[in-house]
This record gives sequence, structure tokens and C-alpha cells, in this order.
Amino acid sequence: MSTPNGSSLRGGAAIVGVGTAGLGEAPGFNAMDIQALAVREALDDAGLKLSDVDGIFCANMSHTFPVISTIEYLGIQPRWIDGTNTGGSSFVAHAMAATLALQAGLCDVALICYGATMRSGAGRMVPANEQPTYEVPHKPRYPMTAYAMSAAKHMAQFGTTREQLAEVAVSARLWAQKNPEAFERGPLSIDDVLGARMVMEPLTVRDCCLLTDGAGAVVMTRADKARDLKNKPAYFLGGGTASYNRAASEMPELTSTAAKDSGARAFAMAGMNPSDMDILQLYDAFTINVILFLEDLGFCPKGEGGAFVSGGRIAPGGELPVNTNGGGLSFCHPGMYGVFTLIEATRQLRGEAGERQVKDVETVLCHGNGITLSHQATAILGAGATL
Amino acid sequence: MASLTQAGPDQAFQEHVADGRLWLQYCDDCGQAVFMPRILCQHCSSLALQWRPVSGRGTVHSLTVLHQRSKPNHAIVLVDLDEGPRMMSRLPEVAPEDIRIGMRVQARIDGEDGARAVVFDPAEDTQ
Repeated sequence: MSTPNGSSLRGGAAIVGVGTAGLGEAPGFNAMDIQALAVREALDDAGLKLSDVDGIFCANMSHTFPVISTIEYLGIQPRWIDGTNTGGSSFVAHAMAATLALQAGLCDVALICYGATMRSGAGRMVPANEQPTYEVPHKPRYPMTAYAMSAAKHMAQFGTTREQLAEVAVSARLWAQKNPEAFERGPLSIDDVLGARMVMEPLTVRDCCLLTDGAGAVVMTRADKARDLKNKPAYFLGGGTASYNRAASEMPELTSTAAKDSGARAFAMAGMNPSDMDILQLYDAFTINVILFLEDLGFCPKGEGGAFVSGGRIAPGGELPVNTNGGGLSFCHPGMYGVFTLIEATRQLRGEAGERQVKDVETVLCHGNGITLSHQATAILGAGATL
Repeated sequence: MASLTQAGPDQAFQEHVADGRLWLQYCDDCGQAVFMPRILCQHCSSLALQWRPVSGRGTVHSLTVLHQRSKPNHAIVLVDLDEGPRMMSRLPEVAPEDIRIGMRVQARIDGEDGARAVVFDPAEDTQ
């Protein structure tokens, strides 16, 4: 049964297992090694075996053919294979693609996975080989230049301040201090962020995500099978993707992203509104991202994101918890972060998030961002009561 | 089979700007200027794109300054051309701290044959 907004997918599948490995530093291991550890943990978590996996969704920046190399390493022979690579948003988009494939009967157990060891390997964020032809001569630094320019424009256009950007980093750190797996857990004040080493104006090193190793994996099944497995399912309620451009110079508006459309599509499919979301997991590659996505996803009007995040609103104890694991800014960021939004959402929905657990979480919005504000993917997950 | 133009858009751009002026593609069907160079108009999908020299005047839309430990700071800008398109560029003759959003600028062609790029200098005019 097709519906105009794809709502036949609503509640059709669920995340039934999550796993991570090599968070922080994993010297001596490669991306495929730690990815396989995360996959095993996710399958063990679900009570399933590698031989049950018959659908795979994978992207990375270290392999030319990520999904094929993953299939080979894991020794699986899946019947549904999706290697769509839209950057760090890929895995949030994969959650919708997996729901579609599961609903269509193209697979029964879908695996979404990612791993990278840039910190122990190259020791820096390794950008894509191919970059926009007409930007390269001007020596931008990818991906940061795009975000810095968006932040500078947001400040000029709307009066957003560096202190407001810093609020995002401080909120993430306060969450990370409640997460024993977070990479950076030390004290961090707004003054610390403002006084940190300037990297690309207006962003200091503390406005930028971490560079860590790490792997994450998510296992999804159709909802009927999910109910028979051991964990509380995190149901897929709605999703959307959108992209208009690759290069920052080609963005229709530098301070407005395709998250407007991906979010609207996800809310339409879920039959929900921003006010229905209990917590958010927003890909925070840079502090400006959270401000842009809160605006574009409809949590506050355009231009008011800076004021919105002020006063601890998105921090522990605030009225809208955002990035409860500490995010890419303080938890981990192995190059592509999207899969970790799904993992944290699932743990919060199950009530397994320990000291950082938010009370009575029934709905979580996950938002992935790809490349240089180039691709946006939104997925709304919910507990059984939301079906 | 679709027929090819005389030169691919990237090569045609290099050939046109060799005279020191900024050239853009214009769409014969919808009239809009196109940059980055393309084989079709991204506004209306027309294949009827013609190269034209343009004023090269524009306004700084945004900027960022890269701080490096062992090299001078490096400013990168986005410029909105008066003709419509936006492009990434730099202002080689202006100190990074003197560049402002909203500043009027004038294009100049920089670089060697086959690898020319558009950079900007300050302009005194108003829009």
C-alpha cells in the first residue's frame, strides 16, 4: 500500500541491536577490524547471528567499495546490498532504506555499519579525494571551510554570537561527563571554548568535532520479528533525505540547509511534529550545525538558534536534551558520525543510557549531515507506545 | 547520441578567461547566468548555454580565515557576483582582518594557462 508521504513504512521495522567498538583510540587495528567488533556486539545485543544477516548498508571514506569490502571481511552473502554514500548522513538514510528493504521482503535482517581509524592511522581528518573543482584553487580546508563560512554568515545575518556557538560545545561536554565512553570528559566553559586555539574563524578547535577512531553497528528487522527478540524495539516511525548541492558555494542559502526538507518528510511520515520529540541526536560536526538543524528541523524559527541553545536548554536538565551521548564534539567522531545518532537513540528508548538517561523517552529524532552541509537525513524513532 | 560542444565547459572556461576577463555561461532559454561551468542549465535544463564576458563585480557574502601554526593566516571568501552566481575565492591583496561581509569587490583572473582561477580585489563602487 503506497501513501503519498511513504507512511506505509511507519512502524514497519525496528532497531533490535546496537554495538560499538574502538571508540577513541584503536592503535594497531584497521577500520574493518573494529567495524567487525561493533557488528558482533550489535548482533549479540539482538540475539542474532552473522549468518542471519541478509541485508547490508555501509559507507565509509577509507575504502573505494566499502560495502563489498565489509561483506568480504564479515564472510556474509547478503541478498540485499546498499552502499549509498552521502557522507556522514549515510547511516541515518540507511535506516529508512533498510526499513524499505525489510518491508519489501528483500531482506529479513538488515545490518548498518561503519568503522574508521583516522586518529590512529592518518592522525587527521582525511578528506575525500575529489573536491569541488572551482573551490580547490582557493585552498579551502575541507570540510571545515563550509561550516566556518556558514557560521560567519549566521552571525552577520542574525546576530548569532560566538558565545552562543560555544553553548553548543559546553552542552555536549556536560552530556559527555555523564557518559563513561565519551572521549573528552574534562571541564569546559564558554570562556574555554572562546579562548581555545582559533582554527577557522569564527570556529576554535572546541567548536570542531573530535577526531577519534571508532565503529558502530545497528541491526534492524521487521516489526513483527522485532517483538520476539530480547530488547525493546526502537521503531522506525519516519524518515526523509534531501540534498541540493555538494559544494558550500553552491548552497542556495548558506545559513539554511536541506534539513528543512528531510525533516518535513520525516515528520510527515511519522505523523508527528517537532513538539512531539522527547530528545534529539543531531550530527554536530561543528557547533553551528546544531543551531542550523534546530532551525531547519522546526524547533525554533530561522535565525533564533543561537538564542535557543542558550541558558542550557539543550544540556542535561534542559527542556530539550540534544546529543545525550556527548555528540561528535565530545563523545566520538571517527570521520562519519551518523550511525552513532541511531545507537544513542536506541539506548535512550530502551532506558539503558545509565547516568545520562533521560526520563521517559518515547520519541527520538536522529539527524545526519553529510559532506559540507551537502546531504541531510532525518529519522524518527519511537518506543512501542508510539506505534 | 547527443552531440558534444566544441570544448568541455571546464576547458572552455579556461580558454575564455585567458583574456583576463571573467566569463560566465548564460542560458539562451531562461536568461540566467550559470557558474560553476556546466553542459546544461541547472535552472531549466536547457543545453543552449553561451559564454559572455561579465562585469566581474560582486559582494563578499561570507568569509573565513584559516589560522595555521607555521604559515600566515589565509582568508577564503564567498562572493555573490552582480550577475547572480556565487563563487568561492580569495582577496590576495587584502589582509584577512580587513575583509568584511558586504564589501564590494572586482574579479581578476589569476594563475597560469590551463589553471586560471578567479580572485578578487576591493572595488570602490556601489551596487
